[in-house]
Amino acid sequence: MSSIKEKFNQISPSEFFYRNRDLAGFSNPTRSLYTAVREFVENSLDACDQKGIFPDVHLSIKAIDPEKPDPKPYILTVKDNGPGIETKHVPLAFGTVLYGSKFGLKQARGMFGLGATMAILYGQITTNKPVLVKSSTDGKIQDEFELLLDIQKNKPVILKHTTKEVTKRGLSVSICLEGDYAKAGSKIKDYVYETSLITPYATITFDDPKGEKFHYSKIVNEMPPPPTIIRPHAHGIDVETIRRMMVESQFEIPTIDDAMVEKVRKDLGLAKNNLSFTGIMDKAKKRWKTLSRPVRVVISLMSFLKMDFDKLNKIRIDDIDVPNKKLYYWDFGDSQSKSVDMDPESSYYKQLTGTVQGETLTTFLTKGFQRIGPSTAVKFAEFAGFKPDKRMGTMTNEELVRLSDSLQKFEDFLSPDPSCLAPLGEEPLEKGMKKFFKPDFCAVIQRPASAYSGFPFIVEMGIAYGGEIRPGGPHVYRYANRIPLLYDEGSDVVLKVVNDTDWGRYKVKGEPPFVIVSHICSTRIPYKTVGKENVADRQEIERELRLGLQFLSRKLAAYMSKRGQADMAKKRANLYAKYLPLIAQFSTELAGKTKEPNYKKLLEEEIIVDDK
Amino acid sequence: MTTNKSKDRKQKANEKQQNIIDALKDHGAKVYGDLDNGQFPKLSIPSRSVSNIVYDKKLRQYILGNSAALRSSRNSSQLRSFTQLMWLAFFANRLTHEKKSSTLRDVYYSSQAFEIEFEDQSESDNIIVDLEAVLSKPREDFHIFPEERSSIFGDLNIEYTIPGYEGKTMNLSNHPDGYAIGPSLTTAELVDTSAEIVIAIEKGGLFTRFVEEQVDKKFKSIIINTGGQAPRSTRTLLKRLHDEMGLPVIVLTDGDVYGEHIAMVIKSGSANAAHLRDLTVPDAKWVGVWATDIEKFKLPTIPMTESDIKRCHDLQSDPRYQEGIWKKELDVFLKIKRKAELEAFSKYGLTNITDKYLPQKLELAKSM
Repeated sequence: MSSIKEKFNQISPSEFFYRNRDLAGFSNPTRSLYTAVREFVENSLDACDQKGIFPDVHLSIKAIDPEKPDPKPYILTVKDNGPGIETKHVPLAFGTVLYGSKFGLKQARGMFGLGATMAILYGQITTNKPVLVKSSTDGKIQDEFELLLDIQKNKPVILKHTTKEVTKRGLSVSICLEGDYAKAGSKIKDYVYETSLITPYATITFDDPKGEKFHYSKIVNEMPPPPTIIRPHAHGIDVETIRRMMVESQFEIPTIDDAMVEKVRKDLGLAKNNLSFTGIMDKAKKRWKTLSRPVRVVISLMSFLKMDFDKLNKIRIDDIDVPNKKLYYWDFGDSQSKSVDMDPESSYYKQLTGTVQGETLTTFLTKGFQRIGPSTAVKFAEFAGFKPDKRMGTMTNEELVRLSDSLQKFEDFLSPDPSCLAPLGEEPLEKGMKKFFKPDFCAVIQRPASAYSGFPFIVEMGIAYGGEIRPGGPHVYRYANRIPLLYDEGSDVVLKVVNDTDWGRYKVKGEPPFVIVSHICSTRIPYKTVGKENVADRQEIERELRLGLQFLSRKLAAYMSKRGQADMAKKRANLYAKYLPLIAQFSTELAGKTKEPNYKKLLEEEIIVDDK
Repeated sequence: MTTNKSKDRKQKANEKQQNIIDALKDHGAKVYGDLDNGQFPKLSIPSRSVSNIVYDKKLRQYILGNSAALRSSRNSSQLRSFTQLMWLAFFANRLTHEKKSSTLRDVYYSSQAFEIEFEDQSESDNIIVDLEAVLSKPREDFHIFPEERSSIFGDLNIEYTIPGYEGKTMNLSNHPDGYAIGPSLTTAELVDTSAEIVIAIEKGGLFTRFVEEQVDKKFKSIIINTGGQAPRSTRTLLKRLHDEMGLPVIVLTDGDVYGEHIAMVIKSGSANAAHLRDLTVPDAKWVGVWATDIEKFKLPTIPMTESDIKRCHDLQSDPRYQEGIWKKELDVFLKIKRKAELEAFSKYGLTNITDKYLPQKLELAKSM
């Protein structure tokens, strides 16, 4: 263990970065610039979402020396109107790796805030310039920090810290980094455009290095409710997570020192009085319900030791031997180890074993996971071959693996709780699409929540046709957790579902002016690659996409046939106007007449569809 | 006598013309009336679908059954073809009145002066067949003719009836390349002939050989080159030679299934022309080259192709091939799976076919 740590300490910042840059999306100046934009914009949007603030995000990219050819250093600034970051957290949040507030199970654009740190580190390595952070949490005072990362110590180096008075709350992060806007530009513009479509409650502006300005105003005035943090679902768990959860649920035997004894005396209302052992026990019994766990443990120990506070001060608890029901302690007075037997029938015994061995399996399950009640827990224990009151602390490694496997295999758990998800909602999606595409026809759907492997997800889809949409569709806009997926679409599950659709069946033909928007929300999007650009074809997700698209396609078909009927009627009227005069002309000569028949009535008549 | 006969014929021809004009006028008046009454005009067209083509044993040809399709100008998908049909009637009416003729290709181009777009000639050809079916008359009657490729040679005097040539006569043995069978010939009066038989032959090459070898004189015959499957004008002429001049008709084709069917079409028409009568010579005789001749004369052969064999099987289900020589030869073709061309006789010398084969067959034909 210690040798690994030493090795880690020897890695230089650039080594650390270069070892991980592909994973984080910083493989070259083009991709790095794009990834950095994404990380900061998404952090800003996430921060606003959490606090229910309509985001107003301003992105700007400026070349330090516009004359230089790409790749060259750029200053990337992202400014928001979010909650800001408290003064004391700023250096840690931006100056350490793996510091973030995003741990926990809920839908968010990014996972741990690691990406932003990587962007800062990338900037620092390529340009040797500090990150500039301006933050105000109250809209009055703003902290301004200039920071460098010290990766070896994983600590921020504060170069400068000033404060000034401001009138607006929010956070602004500015880094200097090597980038290639000539190549990344169109990608970044697409990203900003598509992001504003799926975030219609946000205002996003972008000043690009060539002086172009892109402004996307807020379209809707409702914000989707923020997602809540929830406990994990049994199907989405692994051994490591179980181990971490167990540590949180177990308690150690408190050290019985002066402070601890003081606390017990105080909680029993005996700060001043010195009671005998039996007096103390009586008092504890009366107050048991109000006592905290550590105090209860001390009382339980005292019950077996049969000691009052004075005696307790002269010993040290060494071990609680549950299998042999013995309590070992060191007596300072006699300078020797002693033991007492514990009565297994005593309620104090249960208190102690519970503390040492952790919760029972059923308690662990009902407390630690969503959607598991006591009866499901018991059923599961039977399924997995454990006693329901099996103590978690007594699990061997093999048993933990069995527990983890069984949790994933057991089929009677309720499906995951989707309250941790934050879909956009049908109305904002439809408004956004109408405003963006100005179509003749638009329909949206939000599918009910579903789950794959214990992770809940919701699919939202929209379809728009005609109007100002360019031909050559379907144009597919893919989103996952409100992030646009711009590349690698070939292998994406959404594309697969769209391509499998026989559009002719829905009366969509040729090169239709036609847009499909798909949004998958989940606590974990099953990306196919680390690039996070395409979603793997999980059967459950594919099914929801298919059902959603079928619903929308049917609506589109209904619209198309209505549109087709109107077109047909017009076409037909044109046909009559063209051919009837000819028929009249020919029949006049054939019949040997001079005056044409009066066929005008026929042209005025409303023609009913009678094509067979 | 001759003048009377000629007058009769003239009258007949005029009547025929008048019938067409009357029929066209009737249809035009009906459409005119419908339009004037605020009705969408429609026409009933005998159906030419396979299910409506039946073999009439009495007439010894294919005819159309009773089912007909209504083409209505109200139906937007039929409006265009309805207009095309009306245009064609209008165009045919003018042709007939002016005694002018037009080829199928002319029709296709003429339409463009009237904003009647035909996608291609096959579309206009189809409309022409529609009008034939409506009037139950072949297109030649309303002065529309296919491109010609067949020809005639022999001692036959004719008198033209077409404008500009009325009364002019011609002997069809004056020019050794033969005469193209076109509108002027099919409408000409057949005055007299010394010939006693008509020999229809499938190929131009053999036609030339027959003229060179003076088959017309040696066997007192009129030689007709059908140029493959005989066009309708040729079939009309064959019928007239048979009916008006009382000449028997024999047919000489390649020794394969297609040759056999060329003879059959001259004898009893094709399914394609089931809507028409008067194009058949039921007494015509196919004298060769038979499948059995291939063996008998030890002719050089080529193997039958897949499509030859398929064609044999198709014809086996045709009611006309159920008996006699037709069935017998078809079965032998299928058995030997080989075929021989008329030219195969050249193996025995260029004149073998006219010196040996033809006399045998002519003799045989008398007993058929």
